[in-house]
Amino acid sequence: MTALTIRGVTKSFGATPVLGGIDLHVPAESLTAVLGPSGCGKTTLLRLIAGFDDPDAGVIAFGDETVFGDGRSTPPQRRHVGYVPQEGALFPHLTVTANITFGLPRKARVAKHRVPELLELVGLDVRVADRYPHQLSGGQQQRVALARALAPEPSVVLLDEPFSSLDAGLREATGRAVVSALRATNATAVLVTHDQAEALSLADQVAVMRAGRLVQLAEPPVVYGSPLDVGVARFVGDAVLLAGQVRGAHVDCPLGTIALRAGNIDGAAEVLIRPEQILLRGDGSGVPARVEEVSFYGHDAAVRLTLLPDGPRVVARITGERDLPAPGQQVGLVVTGDALAYPLSG
Amino acid sequence: MFATGVALLALLPLGFVVWATISTGWAEAEKLIFRPRTGELLWNTVRLTAGAVALCAVIGTATAWLVERSNLPVRKAFHVLLTAPLAIPAFVNSYAWVSLLPSATGYGGALLIVTLSYFPFVHLPVAAAFQGLDPALEETAHALGLSRWRTFTRVVLPQLRPALLGGALLVALHLLAEFGALQMLRFPTFTTAIYDQYQSTYNGPAANMLAVVLVLCCLLLLVGELKGRGRARLSRVGTGVARPATRARLGRAAIPVLTALCVLVALSLAVPLASLTYWLSGSSAEFDAEMIAATATTSLALGALGAVCTVGLAIPVAWLVVRHRNALSTFLERSTYFGNALPGIVVALALVTIGIQVVPGLYQTTVMLLAAYAILFLPRAVVNVRSALAQAPPVLDDVAHSLGSGRLAAFRRVTLPLIAPGLGAGAALVFIAVVTELTATLLLAPIGTTTLATQFWSHSDSAAYGAAAPYAALMVLLSVPATYLLTREGIRR
Amino acid sequence: MRWSMRVTAAVSAVVLAAGCGNGASGGDALTLYNAQHEDLMKAMVEGFTKETGIKVNLRSGKDFELANQIVQEGDASPADVFVTENSPAMSLVDAKGRFAKVDDATLAQVPGQYSPSSGNWVGFAARSTVFAYNSKQLTAEQLPKSIVDVAQPQWQGKIGVAAAGADFQAIVSAVLEVTGEDATKQWLAGLKRNAKIYPGNIAVMKAVNSGEIQGGVIYHYYWYKDRAEASANSKDTELKFFTDGDPGAFVSVSGAGVVKASKKQADAQKLVKYLTSKGGQQILSDSKALEYAIAKDATPNSKLKPLNELKPPPIDVAKLNGPKVVELMQQAGLI
Repeated sequence: MTALTIRGVTKSFGATPVLGGIDLHVPAESLTAVLGPSGCGKTTLLRLIAGFDDPDAGVIAFGDETVFGDGRSTPPQRRHVGYVPQEGALFPHLTVTANITFGLPRKARVAKHRVPELLELVGLDVRVADRYPHQLSGGQQQRVALARALAPEPSVVLLDEPFSSLDAGLREATGRAVVSALRATNATAVLVTHDQAEALSLADQVAVMRAGRLVQLAEPPVVYGSPLDVGVARFVGDAVLLAGQVRGAHVDCPLGTIALRAGNIDGAAEVLIRPEQILLRGDGSGVPARVEEVSFYGHDAAVRLTLLPDGPRVVARITGERDLPAPGQQVGLVVTGDALAYPLSG
Repeated sequence: MFATGVALLALLPLGFVVWATISTGWAEAEKLIFRPRTGELLWNTVRLTAGAVALCAVIGTATAWLVERSNLPVRKAFHVLLTAPLAIPAFVNSYAWVSLLPSATGYGGALLIVTLSYFPFVHLPVAAAFQGLDPALEETAHALGLSRWRTFTRVVLPQLRPALLGGALLVALHLLAEFGALQMLRFPTFTTAIYDQYQSTYNGPAANMLAVVLVLCCLLLLVGELKGRGRARLSRVGTGVARPATRARLGRAAIPVLTALCVLVALSLAVPLASLTYWLSGSSAEFDAEMIAATATTSLALGALGAVCTVGLAIPVAWLVVRHRNALSTFLERSTYFGNALPGIVVALALVTIGIQVVPGLYQTTVMLLAAYAILFLPRAVVNVRSALAQAPPVLDDVAHSLGSGRLAAFRRVTLPLIAPGLGAGAALVFIAVVTELTATLLLAPIGTTTLATQFWSHSDSAAYGAAAPYAALMVLLSVPATYLLTREGIRR
Repeated sequence: MRWSMRVTAAVSAVVLAAGCGNGASGGDALTLYNAQHEDLMKAMVEGFTKETGIKVNLRSGKDFELANQIVQEGDASPADVFVTENSPAMSLVDAKGRFAKVDDATLAQVPGQYSPSSGNWVGFAARSTVFAYNSKQLTAEQLPKSIVDVAQPQWQGKIGVAAAGADFQAIVSAVLEVTGEDATKQWLAGLKRNAKIYPGNIAVMKAVNSGEIQGGVIYHYYWYKDRAEASANSKDTELKFFTDGDPGAFVSVSGAGVVKASKKQADAQKLVKYLTSKGGQQILSDSKALEYAIAKDATPNSKLKPLNELKPPPIDVAKLNGPKVVELMQQAGLI
């Protein structure tokens, strides 16, 4: 498998710029998630890599081979990419076997080359081989779509929000099955998604996109723990943002004085704390706050609080213990770990 | 480019009508249009259309409700029986009636027979609308205190409006274009009058001016339907699965309702079929088997060619509108729909004139006839090809490309197999329409070409009912498969 | 690639085959624009082909439809020969100069009164106007004395005509020729009030026979044909022949002519000659058409009221004015 390199890729549709100079390197045999809200251009980027559309400028290379550059473009059918679109897009008129072998030469198609092996790889029973797509569940369809993409042994596998149409439970299981199949085949893969949990849990590195630009490219813990700015912070997880004053390695904010992880700013700042860093205390210690609302999820719970006397409001995420605080109850808040500070925007 | 050509072809008759008006000159046109005869024809056309549309709407809605929302016994069989009259072309139906009951002519006869021929055009879409109607709406209305009847008028009827209007428009347009049936029933309307003028003056100004008025009527109807459709969103708003509706109990009304339905089926189906059987078996006429075979072959060949050409023309238009939707492609698609509203006689007159004056090389050739069929039946093909293409989203092409297939290979291995059923359905509908087409074929068929419809017509025109019967029977037989298609899919416009 | 090319090739082959194979205008065959009854012309043409070996294709239509078509087609007309049921359509084509002169030998085969003085077409058959009436509803005394009388108020709703047909329009042209324009206008207005309009002469006769109307103006042979068969549509119907030069005694002449644009003038002349020859006229006499054979040496059909007993008004066949009649009938609202 080969690495994927993108340099200075731009694309506009008519007068609307969609991508404004993307640089991205996906190391061989790794999975990169391109994470961004809808309309940020991530799907366009994927289509440019696949060759369905051509960039206005820039270079796209698979390993040493330039597939787009200097105005020359290799057509999609000769790029050897594996493409897994949203909702799988299985050929509805073909059986699972015929779908999987679609991209193989005629002889291999007739021989049903590697079908059982590929089915096993994506975690499907061989008995589905003769079924038609409409006889499969959504998760099964996605797995078949992946098997189809992997069958011709592509240089790069591209996945375009492949799990977005699945139910929550199915989404995770399918995601894990897909990733393990990708790893088993040592594939170089790009996964486009707007779901941060998916990106963080599945990928080797996460590329956060916003408004046609790549904002941050890093490993998942870095993206979550040290987001480049407030926007990224909010996008990759729940965030409590408070106004504060930075003093050296600490910051003063309504939740007290907290150690800073990094940063070289001074004075007024926006302080980022993750909800799971906020602990509730019933022994009178900590910053006093009133419980407004409790959402119980089972494994954990979100507690919305107002700092006394009158704000600001914060969210704390606590484990799903048996005696949850009741709305109206007064508690104390304590922050564990360190916080991040960002210069005030605008 | 190609699609533009198709749209231009479809707009030819309209262009012709405009040209005819201009070249006739206002003074002459005024003289020909504003004469008592035009008024008479207009009155006839309007009262027949209004009467038949009203009757069809009432009957079609009632039968649709009975089949879809009541506990009527053998509902499925009734649905088929109530759709089956579509397999009997209206002019065959009038032939069947008139040959048995010569007094079934004039307004009363015409109204009766066209209603019996066309009420399925309302029954089908309204039945489909009932199927799609969320019973929760009716239940909500009941819960809000509305009676069954008030619920029907205030909740159900507005929901049925698009289907009802669509069906009514179809009935009205068919009536405006109807020639054979009304000629046989001796009820002159614009279309029969145009044909009379054609026989007396060929494509003289009198014929053309009547065509102008007729086209105006058609356009008026189209606009009326668009306005009447309104802008309210009439589908289910929420998500979730609609439950099947609880059926109304007919109770003591069951017997009279059943009797009425049986009478309707008897009149619309049994009478024409019995009449055909009578003429086929009982009459003394000897059938010219050779002629019947030759004519049937011509009809089949024309039908097949017409279907292939029309669907072939429909593909680029549908492709554009599905894959590259913009103002231009929408306009191109819409312009092909005019064929729906244009009577065959107007299309034929236009092509006769254009043939003689512009392309004498094509004049009196099969190509010309096929062009007329294409103009008339493009809407059926475009609608089917369009919905077929919607079954083959472009992402499948992308996937096929990424798996190494080129453009053509992707079309052959993915798109074509997916749209084939739709193409087939479109082709079948065009095929049947061509086989039973009378007016344009009468005017445009090349020398020596006779079809089932024209041969039937020339026999029944001279009241040789027995000799006409085998041609009528063949047309009915050929129409059965397309009618079956319609019952399955409902009328899509 | 290869697959799609095969499909394209197949489709275009089919389209081309249909486009060319069906035109039938090429080759040696003559094209006959036929407004006469198809059965009759097929029989006569068959005789012609047997005698000369020349094949003939028919395009059937109505008198004025085909006449106007020939005029509009002009030099490009595929028609070689034109035959009608009635003479006004012939006059129309003649007036536009679209006929070639008929050979003198052909004209000589037919009595002079059946051809125009121009000699541009020739009569080959004739039919007599009659008043068909329901013999159960009308007695001989109640019948109209003249065709002009059917416009009188007492006939309101009781008579029928096939107004859109060339047959009836020829009869109107005779009325116009004999009585003049004003009287004809009045007569047509009366008809508009009185008459039920039927799509054809047979329909008129059937309506008379069934008693739906009491009488109708048609041509003689529809009645004779039906009587020769099962009489299903004429059992209760009798014919009144108008006499003594009444416009209703009009004998309409079916004409044949060679189209000027024809590229096969010699063969076309042969066909017209054949239609008026002894052989051709014999087929006409023997046929079930029961129209009058009119050539000089034709054998009359004994079943018909003899041609010389009809006392038609003296009308020059060339003078019957088709377009004027159509205009008057349009004004009257009959068509």
